[in-house]
Amino acid sequence: MGFIRDNIKGGALTETTFLVLLAVYKPNHGYGIMQFIEKETNGRVVLGAGTLYGAINTLVKKKWIAPLNDEADSKKKEYIITDVGKQKAEDELNRLSDVWKLATKIIEGSKTE
Amino acid sequence: MSKTIFRHFFDFFNGQEKWLNSMAERGYRLKKCGKMTYTFDECKPAEYEYAVEYVGDKSYSKARDYRGYLESMGFRTFTKNINLNLSLGKARWRPYAKGMGQIATSPGGFNKELLILEKKRDGNPFELHTDVRDKLNTYKTVRRANVWAVLLLLALIAMIFVPGVSSASVLVTWVLRIVVAILALMFIIPTVKYSSLVGQLNSESKTFE
Repeated sequence: MGFIRDNIKGGALTETTFLVLLAVYKPNHGYGIMQFIEKETNGRVVLGAGTLYGAINTLVKKKWIAPLNDEADSKKKEYIITDVGKQKAEDELNRLSDVWKLATKIIEGSKTE
Repeated sequence: MSKTIFRHFFDFFNGQEKWLNSMAERGYRLKKCGKMTYTFDECKPAEYEYAVEYVGDKSYSKARDYRGYLESMGFRTFTKNINLNLSLGKARWRPYAKGMGQIATSPGGFNKELLILEKKRDGNPFELHTDVRDKLNTYKTVRRANVWAVLLLLALIAMIFVPGVSSASVLVTWVLRIVVAILALMFIIPTVKYSSLVGQLNSESKTFE
């Protein structure tokens, strides 16, 4: 896979990575992950099947998510988030909330001036 | 009514996809594909949509896993060749591939460098790669396949321009040179196209995911 940007310390997760992590807090398979993301973002994010496949494989390799049953083929293979994955998702939530606070302060502040 | 069409695409990725979609719009649904043929069944116009995915850089087992996954996502899949291969018996070297994907065997991953995917038209765009980085990787991989074809043909051109290299007549030698030069050009066109796409995406990726 080569260089993975979201491995950088303190760096942001890609939106794809973060949404996939959220989609597997409960066991979910590929198609279910895609539907979850489309539904929960109200259609703002519709992941391509190829992009999702790459994201799942990368996250499995990093052990942020794990396949539930070790079936050889990926048909109906279900995934679940690991403890490491949960930690990464929580870090991202904190980072986003910092960004949100900063952006609110500046953007809302500029409107009330 | 079935209809068989002979076609070869130098632009095997976007070019082939565009053509399959234009066929579908006119009411032809892909039934099977051979090395240079496509067989269609008649269907309602614009009932289906197609996407082409390049898997020639993957090992056979990875490509098969990916195909199984795509089928589980609800797509109908076909395999297709791209004809850029160096062969030794039943094994081929694919210099543009990664790791074990470099050796393709028949039966195995050889002549299955492409997956053609079909879905029913549902109003959503048929996009397999949706984030900028993933698109970038995809086009880079496709470009690599084209670059290798160009390099191999340029090497061939260099070889056939060595004076006295061939015992064939002057006319035949020149015909050969021209044919190879045209072939090289056919691969240079998509190479340039995918390079420019890679460039655009590279600059996009600095601001967007």
